[in-house]
Amino acid sequence: MTSRRILIIAGIVLILFLGMYTWNQRTRALDNIASNIGLEVTGAILSSMRAVQDTVTDFWNRYFDLVNMHEENKNLKTHVKELEATLLAVKEDQEELKRLRNLVQLPVDESWRPLGARVLAGRMGPNAILDSITINRGYITGGRPGTPLVTQQGLVGRVFRASAHTATALLITDPASRIAVFTQNSRALGILTGQGAGKTLELNFVQRDAKIDKGEVLITAGLDGKYPKGIPVGRVISVSPSNYTQFMSIEAKPIVDLQHLEEVLLLEPTGLAHPVSEESDSPPPAFVGPPAPQSPAP
Amino acid sequence: MNQVRNIVWWLCFITTAVCVQTLVPCLDVLAAGLFILLQERDYKNMLWLLPLFVLIQEGAGTRLFGGAIVWYCAVIIFFKIGQWLFEVENFIFIFLLSGCLVAPYYAINWLMAPLQNLPFDTRDTLDKALLQALFLPLVWRFLVITRRRKIKADKNETQ
Repeated sequence: MTSRRILIIAGIVLILFLGMYTWNQRTRALDNIASNIGLEVTGAILSSMRAVQDTVTDFWNRYFDLVNMHEENKNLKTHVKELEATLLAVKEDQEELKRLRNLVQLPVDESWRPLGARVLAGRMGPNAILDSITINRGYITGGRPGTPLVTQQGLVGRVFRASAHTATALLITDPASRIAVFTQNSRALGILTGQGAGKTLELNFVQRDAKIDKGEVLITAGLDGKYPKGIPVGRVISVSPSNYTQFMSIEAKPIVDLQHLEEVLLLEPTGLAHPVSEESDSPPPAFVGPPAPQSPAP
Repeated sequence: MNQVRNIVWWLCFITTAVCVQTLVPCLDVLAAGLFILLQERDYKNMLWLLPLFVLIQEGAGTRLFGGAIVWYCAVIIFFKIGQWLFEVENFIFIFLLSGCLVAPYYAINWLMAPLQNLPFDTRDTLDKALLQALFLPLVWRFLVITRRRKIKADKNETQ
């Protein structure tokens, strides 16, 4: 009698759980609650921890700065003189760069606005199955789900789940990540797939007649509408015809060091269209790399 | 006052647990807190702590909602079964319990992966389950020491 009752209760619980799971899979209601409370609490704890860590590190560094200040001061004075001379030369270079940029008219993509974000943690907790990171921006601070993440080197991934001030971002190395890419020189199109943390990336669906060299850079194609066009993603490390499919078998490694990320840039869509040139025959401009972060205030 | 101190202890535990979880991927430190709640039969605090544990793990994770509920249910069931056979405050019991929890940890990952169309890595999951099993008794031991200190301080205060 008791065992029968246990079986009935277990059956009811299982049905209720599967019902809840299916309902949540369809509506994402429980996921949203968990993100808004759980991820927000986690983000608040980690942000505070990082702030304490920064304060302690800053204090420690300042102490050492003070100890070494006298010696450093002497060195710095000589450095300043050298730098002043270098600055004059660099100013000339900068002016030249401006003139050259105007000459070739490099397009500036206004449809994406860069926002700096700090990486709070990597995979966290028993439910962190996907290769992901946690950042200190949420859906009200520019980190909406789907927002691409970049560094000055290249693509990192995109926001997967967000609470108000914290978000979880899926990295390009995760097996669930799929990105439409071009090879930079041969312009062969393919789909870049992750194979797990610390592993290489796999470039699929590239035609056999494509001439791809080892070391060639893969850039986002922008065809999926999820990422701006032209962001470097990976570098080809091996190319060979596949033994199993009619496509090429290509492996690449990420350009960005995903194991040691500290800060990233979120590319928030501004809703503005690409600037269209007056000459209608010219192709739409490509995204010229992720915009550089603004220099911190002195 | 005792209740306030208890809540502060739990908040400190949650903060530390979240920080420790950032250091080792896929580790559940909060499960050790659940051991403490079950040992002390502190069901009143469990009412708000257990949902908070579930929300933290589900919110920080990347899996669909549900995995943490099953995991914590498994912890409670295994604990209750072990309670019939062993003294619950014994280190050996916690060590054996953590060892037994390798099975539900592995099973949950194995069952949840196809539900979300995720690849399942047998070796990786087993490694994480073993790491979890080795880590839990150590955290539990540390928590028990801090709890004893807190209980002693509370007793002194009432005297």
